[in-house]
Amino acid sequence: MKAKYDLIAGVPCSKLKDFIADIKDYIPCTREDEAAALAAGAYLAGKEPLVFLQNSGLGNMVDIITSLYKPYGIEVDLLISVRHKPEHHALMGSITRKLMELMEYEKYELIEQ
Amino acid sequence: MKRIDAIKKIMENVTDEVIIASTGMISRELHHVKDRPRNFYMMGSMGNALGIGLGIAISSEHKVIVISGDGAALMSLGTMVLHKKLDPGNLKHYILDNGCHSTTGGQPTCSDMVDFASLAPNTEVIIVSKEKGDSPRIPFSPKEITERFRNAISADNT
Repeated sequence: MKAKYDLIAGVPCSKLKDFIADIKDYIPCTREDEAAALAAGAYLAGKEPLVFLQNSGLGNMVDIITSLYKPYGIEVDLLISVRHKPEHHALMGSITRKLMELMEYEKYELIEQ
Repeated sequence: MKRIDAIKKIMENVTDEVIIASTGMISRELHHVKDRPRNFYMMGSMGNALGIGLGIAISSEHKVIVISGDGAALMSLGTMVLHKKLDPGNLKHYILDNGCHSTTGGQPTCSDMVDFASLAPNTEVIIVSKEKGDSPRIPFSPKEITERFRNAISADNT
């Protein structure tokens, strides 16, 4: 996967730790929307970026997806781990796919718990 | 100094730099002072201009200028820490600090609580007055802004 992308940025999830260990030289971001902003910059510079995150952090990305990515036509692959347990993950886990559909965002892959 | 005069001063020395302008009047005033395809007017996603600028700076040889307001800079303090960590030599971050959200009615920010320039390299604060400004709306659609910006900065592919 690493070979396909020029820039990988994200916020870790325990479900993605093997993936993260493999890529090694990613940009460790403070928030998910920051990772998305770096990826947008890479895209604007003609590169192919990837953002990885846990679905809990998708909430932090709603603004940048709805007010930057979609209206500006910025296309970035998102790799999203989906947590359902324990209970504090349950609601976001149950609406993650629906949320992506509501935002009309299509370039993503969900890694289910 | 008015914010638009600070933008004029920044633009006096600009040649082929790419510029990411933050949400609200900063984008509108930059467009009004000097529109060019290498300007990216980030009209939404407040707080993300520095992240976009960092993404371009580490993905290319372009010289990048990011123009933020103090409200947006406070939203992206974490990104300023990442700026320090990545420390690309080709990024300059101006923060136009008027201590308030002038676009939305002048509500105060907490910008007097932080020394922005101490957080990251190549970060310069310019104190500006609180006037809202009256530059007109940007006449391009977001997709038009993306298309001409990508074309302009990929032309020499540096």
